[in-house]
Amino acid sequence: MSFGAWLELIASGVITGSIYALVALGLNLQYGLMRILNIAHGEFLMLGAFVTWVATTALGWSPLAMIPLSFALTMALGLVIHRLWFKRLTDTSPNVDVFEARALMVSFGLMFLVQNFASWVWGGELRGYDYLTDPVAIGSAQFAANKLLVLALSLVFAAALIVLLRTTLYGKGVRALMQSPTGAQLVGINTKTLHPLMFGIGLGLSGVAGCLLSMTYTIAPAMGEPYTVTALIVITLGGFGSMGGALAGGLLLGVVEAIGMHYTSPSLKSLLSYSVFIAVLLLRPNGLFHRKR
Amino acid sequence: MNDRQILTRDLLVLFGLTGWALSLPYYGSEFAVSMALTCLMYIALATSWSLFCGTTRYLSLATAAFFGIGAYTSALTLDTQGWALAIAYGAGIATAVAVVMGALVLHLRGTYFAVLTFGMTELIRHAITTWEKQVTGTVGRVLAVVPERDTVYLTVLLLAVLAVATSIVVRRTRFGLAMRGIGSDEQRAQTLGVDTRLVKIAGFALTAAFAGAMGAAMSVRWTYIDPTTVFNPFIGFQTVLIALIGGAATLWGPLIAAIVFSLLAETLRLQLPQLYMMTLGLLLILSVLYLPGGLASLRWDTFKGWWNDTRAWWKEKRYEWSGDKARDERREKERRVVL
Repeated sequence: MSFGAWLELIASGVITGSIYALVALGLNLQYGLMRILNIAHGEFLMLGAFVTWVATTALGWSPLAMIPLSFALTMALGLVIHRLWFKRLTDTSPNVDVFEARALMVSFGLMFLVQNFASWVWGGELRGYDYLTDPVAIGSAQFAANKLLVLALSLVFAAALIVLLRTTLYGKGVRALMQSPTGAQLVGINTKTLHPLMFGIGLGLSGVAGCLLSMTYTIAPAMGEPYTVTALIVITLGGFGSMGGALAGGLLLGVVEAIGMHYTSPSLKSLLSYSVFIAVLLLRPNGLFHRKR
Repeated sequence: MNDRQILTRDLLVLFGLTGWALSLPYYGSEFAVSMALTCLMYIALATSWSLFCGTTRYLSLATAAFFGIGAYTSALTLDTQGWALAIAYGAGIATAVAVVMGALVLHLRGTYFAVLTFGMTELIRHAITTWEKQVTGTVGRVLAVVPERDTVYLTVLLLAVLAVATSIVVRRTRFGLAMRGIGSDEQRAQTLGVDTRLVKIAGFALTAAFAGAMGAAMSVRWTYIDPTTVFNPFIGFQTVLIALIGGAATLWGPLIAAIVFSLLAETLRLQLPQLYMMTLGLLLILSVLYLPGGLASLRWDTFKGWWNDTRAWWKEKRYEWSGDKARDERREKERRVVL
């Protein structure tokens, strides 16, 4: 195989990987901070994609303009959902284990609700639109311009989130809450504002990922579920609650999938990612990059 | 009521329901029988699921895997082995898979366990799809020899009754008590001398046996099966939903919910399939939030509690919106300054 072909293969893996990372970061924020394993996470990616599709095809807006809008929309939805259901769940659950199981169930319900709402409104067909489809040559390899844009933007968003968590005071509060919820509350970190905010931001990132995804791939109401599963795989790879791990895990999974699919067959893609997932969960349940302290 | 009276009551109720279900094919229409089949399928699945998962609080999403394995086994062996043996094989292979799977993952609790069982289900589905495509070169299988409708109905009924009866009996044995002990505090159960590993694997296998047998029996209803139909994760999800909405820790909850939801599904699904699924999702959320014990824990007092809560909430809001709260707070503050 020539160098150019290798570059194309790895790059296509990195591009899908960057979307995985973006979705996984949001899910990781929700699970690491609040113990909500949001099975409905991918459904908000689907919502973001559909909103962008509607705005682009019916209103003629640029998909780029829809990035902040889909973020704001899914984030607002997240705030409402948190206020309506998860807040009450936190107040009424006797301990973390019970809360975790109940939150999982609530997000299951949410998944059914959102997915079927979308297929009720928009129907089950595959949809898409063309945006920046011209090829761009880098060295001896060729890429579609929209894919490069997706890669750049999703890396920017992922990096922005990580930098925000590292440098700002809010970020410090979030990391403290991840380490020890009780300790963080004792030193005066307000969970009442941080929890809904981070839940909203998590969903918002998923919405952005959906918006980016709609620029390159076709979309359907059932598209969210595979991404939820992939996000789960990624955060198990990177370790629950670790942001850098989720980014690295996402990119790694994308590349592994691309190379694996090249050598076997595309129909083995899900088989491959599920095997990686189960192997990691069984052999290294704390994540690939976990070091014993 | 003491324990013996409850046992008698449960057995009598089961006896009555069985008799009623037994007579259904003789007067019911074709549609009623097919609806009853769905009902019975979910009764067996949800009851056997909550037998293990409800008591130990291990949330398994692998029902679809066992169901699919049962269905595939039956499709492969029905021609040569006959009806009863095909079902027995389905249950047996599902049990064997459950023992292996259980030995691998049952040391993990909570979310990890739920996610892993789901992952394994998908892994099995994809593995079988790939195997079918590459080794046998087909996508699905046609069941040529299908038994009579009444035979299928009676078998499914028998399995459902067996599932409920097992649930009634197991609750009263040491095995059932051990599972309940694991559910409330696994470490304590271990300290008190329960071999938790063995009990969990046995319970998981028991659930799988029922799901496998049910899959084997129901596969003939489709006459054509492929991995997407029989390993449909929705079968697993709906079982879990039904058991949780009904009340996974109770005996009759899953049964009541299974009947309610099968009826709801058949009436709504034809016209508005999405609306049915949305209702299902919303009901799950509401039942987790407001009725954690499930439908079976619904008593007159529950409604009274809701009524009182709503009134208290409304009183609080009126106090806030009328401006009284702000005034009282202001006065409180002024008083503090004076002192």
